Parts: sequence; C-alpha cells; structure tokens
Amino acid sequence: MKKKIEKQPLLRKTHLPLYLLGAAMALYGLVSALVWSISSSQAMRGLITAGQLRTRLANFESTGGLITGIVFFILFIWCAVNAKGGVRAAFIVGMLASFAPILAGRAETLLFDTLGLRLPAGSVIAGALSTIVFTLPMMIFFIILASSRRVPRGCRWLAFASIFIVLATAFFPIYVTVLAFLLKPGDPAVGRMLEVSSQVIKLRYLLPGLSLLFLAYISMRFLKEQLSAEAQNIPQEGGPK
Amino acid sequence: MKPSNGSMINQRLAALSLAVVLLLAACGGNNPPATSETTAPAADEFSGLNLVVPARYDPPIEMSSVITVDATVKFLGENDIHNNVWTRAYEQLLGIQVSYDWVVDVSMYDQKLGLSVNSGDIPDMFRVTPSQLLLYQEAGLLANLTAVYEAEASAITRDVLTQDPVALKAATIDGKLWGIPLTDASVANASVLWIRQDWMDELGIAAPTSMDDVLEISRRFTEEDPDGDGVDDTIGLCASKSLYGAIANVQGFFNGYHAYPGIWFERDGQVVYGSVQPEMRTALLALQEMYASGQLDPEFGVKDVNAINETIAQGKCGMEFGVWWNPYHPLNLSQQNDPTAFWSAFAIPSVDSTPAKSQYTTAIGSFLVIRNGYEHPEALIRMVNFWTDNLVGSQDEAVRSTFLGNIEAPDVVLYKYTPVLLWEPNAAIKAGNALREALARHDPSGLDLEAQWRYRIIQAYYEQGILEAWVEVATNGPNGSSAILMQVLEDRGLMNRFYGPPTPTMAGKMPTLQSMEEETIIKVIMGESIDLFDQFASDWYKLGGTDIVDEVNQWAANNP
Repeated sequence: MKKKIEKQPLLRKTHLPLYLLGAAMALYGLVSALVWSISSSQAMRGLITAGQLRTRLANFESTGGLITGIVFFILFIWCAVNAKGGVRAAFIVGMLASFAPILAGRAETLLFDTLGLRLPAGSVIAGALSTIVFTLPMMIFFIILASSRRVPRGCRWLAFASIFIVLATAFFPIYVTVLAFLLKPGDPAVGRMLEVSSQVIKLRYLLPGLSLLFLAYISMRFLKEQLSAEAQNIPQEGGPK
Repeated sequence: MKPSNGSMINQRLAALSLAVVLLLAACGGNNPPATSETTAPAADEFSGLNLVVPARYDPPIEMSSVITVDATVKFLGENDIHNNVWTRAYEQLLGIQVSYDWVVDVSMYDQKLGLSVNSGDIPDMFRVTPSQLLLYQEAGLLANLTAVYEAEASAITRDVLTQDPVALKAATIDGKLWGIPLTDASVANASVLWIRQDWMDELGIAAPTSMDDVLEISRRFTEEDPDGDGVDDTIGLCASKSLYGAIANVQGFFNGYHAYPGIWFERDGQVVYGSVQPEMRTALLALQEMYASGQLDPEFGVKDVNAINETIAQGKCGMEFGVWWNPYHPLNLSQQNDPTAFWSAFAIPSVDSTPAKSQYTTAIGSFLVIRNGYEHPEALIRMVNFWTDNLVGSQDEAVRSTFLGNIEAPDVVLYKYTPVLLWEPNAAIKAGNALREALARHDPSGLDLEAQWRYRIIQAYYEQGILEAWVEVATNGPNGSSAILMQVLEDRGLMNRFYGPPTPTMAGKMPTLQSMEEETIIKVIMGESIDLFDQFASDWYKLGGTDIVDEVNQWAANNP
C-alpha cells in the first residue's frame, strides 16, 4: 500500500516572494516586448537606423538584463528559503534561469570575443544559448512541481501546462529561424512561421511569469483552505482521512 | 483511493512531460529537406494559368534560332533545350515552332555566330552584340523592326524598353529599329558607399555628409582599432586593383570629387572622356595620401577582387565603394568572423556643396535581331510581349513558377531555356520601394511571394534580433541601398553618354589606353608624383585619344 502524502502549499510562511518573482518575470517580459516592439516599429518605418536600434536594444539588454537577473536571483533564493523538500529543490534549479537576462545582451561577446568561437549563424546561436539558460532551469522547475505529490493538484496541472509554454516560447522561434535561414530559405510557409515566431518570442518571459503568479495564487488559496479546514477539522485533499 | 490516483497522475505527468520534451527536441532537429518531384510535363500544362497571350499563329510558323547553355542550365525529366516549357509555350500558345540550329557554351557564342553568318547559315532570330548589330545591319542582314515594334509591342514591353533611356536608342541606326535590346538594371552598377555600421557605432561616428567625413572615418577606422582586437590591422577603405568593378572600386571615390573615370559625359557642349579630366587630380591626391597613411591596403596594387573578399571576410575592411547588392556578396562574408558585422549604404558624399553623382553605364549589352527576309519579324515582338506581359507585368505565382522555376527545384532555372530575356531595368528600385512601404505600414499583403519572404527576413532582424538577416535590411530595408538607386535615377547619377559600338579608333587603341590609364592611377595612388597623371592625360590624347573624342562626338551628334 502506498504511503499517504499530505499536500502542502508551495511556500510555508508567505507567498510574497513567489508573487514578486512572477510579477518581476512578467514585467520584464512585458517591458522587453514593448521596448523591442516600439524600437523595431520605429526602425521598420525608417525613424531610427538599424545601428541606432541595435545600440538601444543592447543598452536595454545589458542594463535591464543585469538588474532583472539580480532581482530574479534574489527572489528565487527567497522562495527557496520559504519552501521545503522538492519544491525548494525546484526553486534552487529555477535560480539558474536568473542568468538568462544577464546573458541576453552578452552572449555574443562571451561566445565570439571572450571564447573566440567562429560559428555560422552566430546571433542565432548566441540567442539560443541565452534561451536555453532560461528554458532548461525553468522547465526542470516546472517538471519538479508537476511531478511532486506534495504540491496541490491545481499547481501541478498549471506547472505541467507551463512546461509546454516554456518549451514552445523558447524553441519555436529557434526552430523557425533554423528553418528559415538554413533548411528552407525562401519557403513561403516558413515565412509565415517567421511572423508568428516574432510574436511568440515576446511571450518568452511573460507567460512563465504569469504562470508563477497563478502558481502563487493557487498555492495561497490552498493554504487558506487548508487553514480553514484545519480550523473546522475537515479532512483535506491528500490529507489524513 | 486518492493516494493511488495521485500516483497515477504523477506517472502520467512525468510520462507526458518526457514525451513532449522528446517531441519538441525532434522538431528542432534534423528535418529532412523537402524533396523535389520530377514530373513529366502534362499535356495541358498551360491550362489554368492566368496568362496574357498575344495573337496565335494558325497554322503555326517556324522560327530557327540559336542559344547558349552553360553548366548551370539543368533540366527536369524528359526536358532538354529543344523541348522544354518555353519551346512548348511558344508553340502551343503563340503558334511559333522554335528550333535551335545549334547550342553552344556561352563563351563560344560569338565565334559560332560569326561562322554561321559568314557561311550564310543565318538563323531567323538570334542575339548580337552592339558591334555585331552595326556590322550585320550595314551588311543588310537584319530586318527592320520599326514597324512591327510600333504595331505589336505591348504597353508593358514599351515600358520596360523605355525605363532605360538608351535601350531603344542603342538598337536604332539611322532612325530605324534593328533589334530588341535585352534590358537589365543599368542603374544597378552605380556606386554607393558601404561602411561598417557597427564600427561607426563603436567609435561614435555619424553618417558621412561630405568626402571630408569619408576621409575622417577612414582615418579613424585605421587608427582607432574599431574591431577592438588590440591589433593595428584595420583598413579604412578597401580598393581593388580592378579600379572600376562592382566590388571595392575607386570610381565611387572619384565621383565624390566630381570625377568620372572610364565613362563619357557632356561638358560645355562636348562629350569628354572622364579619366583625363582635371577633377581626377584632386581625387588621386586624396587617395595617395590615404595610401601613404595606411588607410588603403599596402598591397592595393596587386589585390584583385578575390583578395579583397578575403580582407572583408577577415573583418579588416571598414569602407568600400561598391554596388547596391554587395551585402549579398562579398560583404556577407564579414559575418564569418564577426556575427555583429553590419554594413550600411550611403549615397556618395560630395567634396563640396554640389551633390556628387554616381556614374553608371547602360546594361544593354546585346540585342535580339531578325534575319532580313524572315517572313514573320513580328513573331519576335510577340515572344517579347509574352515575356514582359506575363513575367514582368504580372506577379502571378503560378505563372512565375511555371516559367521561371520554383523553390522545390531551385537549381533548375527555367528562364535559361529561352533567348528572350528582358529584365526590368528598375525592378530593384520598385521592389525595394514596395518592401519599404510594406514595412512602414507593417503589412506585407500585396507583396509577391519573394518580396513577402524578404519582408519576413527584415522583420526577423528587427523583431527577433537575428543579425544574419542584415543583408536584406541593408539592401531593401529602410534607408537600404536600393533606396539610393532611386536617388541615382532621379538626380544623383551620371550615365555614360556613349552607349554605341566601339568607334574605329576606339576598337584599335582603347585597350592600350585603358591599360595605361589603370597603370597610371595605381602608380599615383601608391606614391608616384601626380605629374605622372598629367603626363598620362597628355599622352592619352596624343596616342589616339583625340581621334576617339572626335569620333565619339560625331556619334553623339547622330545619337542625341
């Protein structure tokens, strides 16, 4: 007979760090998408040159990315401190994703200047690197949550869905780029995928951030229900019968 | 029981997660490229196509012709040069049975044609050079096309042939039209200035507005290590020993000083040769100074285009004067060593307040002619109409795919099966303008498939930061090089005034004079006294230049 496992909220004392983490991630995603959208729109209309666009985006990514990375890092630690067991492990792994925003504006310099690599499709590879640095830890983070039996069911399902979200927003643009520039250049179908990819890429941080916010909300509701049930002495989901 | 339910969910989630990860990994992996199908031409291969077809000969007429092939001409299935989509279209749609008397490599064409004509075996329709046009017209071998052109040419054919202002003039002798010029983009060989934009950004340099700015940028690119590798290995301006080519030329630099080497232009009512004009001196002295201070490659005098390409690929070159399509080659090579490399195009700046003009020469290099005595000279005009009406005037993808080729078999270029090839002279400008308008309104609808693809690539650069897409941005994006061509066409260009066949003295002496000219320019740039140029200019006239100038002016008087 299998051992009964009592479900627990993601964080013990307060869900504030998870709310803040989700909000920070979503906000960074939103601001990043806005900066890219506004700047690229100006460049496409010829209001700024391609060089000015690149300078602006490089400044945003190096400064904004550094600040965001540090904020993510601190909030992941705060979450890990407030969690226990598998959930804590998940936050510790997720912490590695903090390096992604920092790397975003520096990947090309790191790969091609510091390491001296000479590769074709350099910017695609550099972009893929910072994407993987974000995606891999976040994916493991969500997989751990989705497969942890101590986590409330709602959180597990949301974490499960988030695995798809993280994967899709990360790898679809890379997949399309490889198709467009290496495997099927000129293919009209890939051209349409490129346009979709331009939109999907804007969701890379936004959607996982929203997932974290919902996770925090569901977990907090679970905590409240658990406390309320304890007060009324009603058996809870996964709890002792 | 709840615990066992939870356990099942857990197992399902883990299994699903794994499956999804594997599936997406597979998606990102090696998808096999689409294979092209080889299909035999269907009997009704043209039915369903939205074609504009001129009046059909009934019964069909016969037309003998000749054609060239090269290693790049490939066929699908049972097709060959005598039986392909073009020969079938001419026969089925126009009622013209085209047969090729002979098929030779392009390098052998002129020789083979000469033998055929000399032996009296003249094809009904064939391609000639300007010299052959004059020769065969004077020999009475060609049909006068004036009347059939006036009667049969479609509006689009007329538009294509008048976009290049000298196209029809070049085919006209004594006021009569003797051939149909095979048009191409003349303005496309006008020079623009290409500068490493990423280096300019790195050093905080603004766009050049004068030749002084160009000299200053060159100096800073040479002295301030713009590539940041700590090695003094950058060159301000790349120039090839070829001097007047499409890549790393010097004529663009000369144009900034209002000097126009290698072409003829009007000055004070006379047509003069640009290479011996006084403006050349100032530009030569500026280049000499650049060479002396290391801003030009020390090996400039021996570097051909291939060597220049290597320099560009190594990321050592900061500027070059070239043509609008240079980002496709060789500037794209600069990303081999530096993924952030990005070149921007600029109209040629001027040394003074008078805007500089970019020189160019007509791209008309050959004509289609009809044998004198052939019963249906108008058939050529109908074949031309078929091309222009369906492939220049229309963007119908099915038609283009049928007659030009498609993405499924990119190495099978169908238009190489016909000698009737007229490219729209202003196509690059029109396409660039359409693309820029679409970008400005964020809407690619209305663009043809190829332009839509370019739109997506440019969009990927701006919205996703894919730097490899810079080539399209630099050519067809906002402020791209094709926009500069429009300026050249309007008032920033100077077309070679002489577009006829070589004059008698020119044919005999010009090659020697040109060698002398190139040698002098290279020597002066590499440090010899400017007096050498003065001597060259003087000698040029003495060694036949005076006669050539007279002949060209006589020709110009007859070809206003």
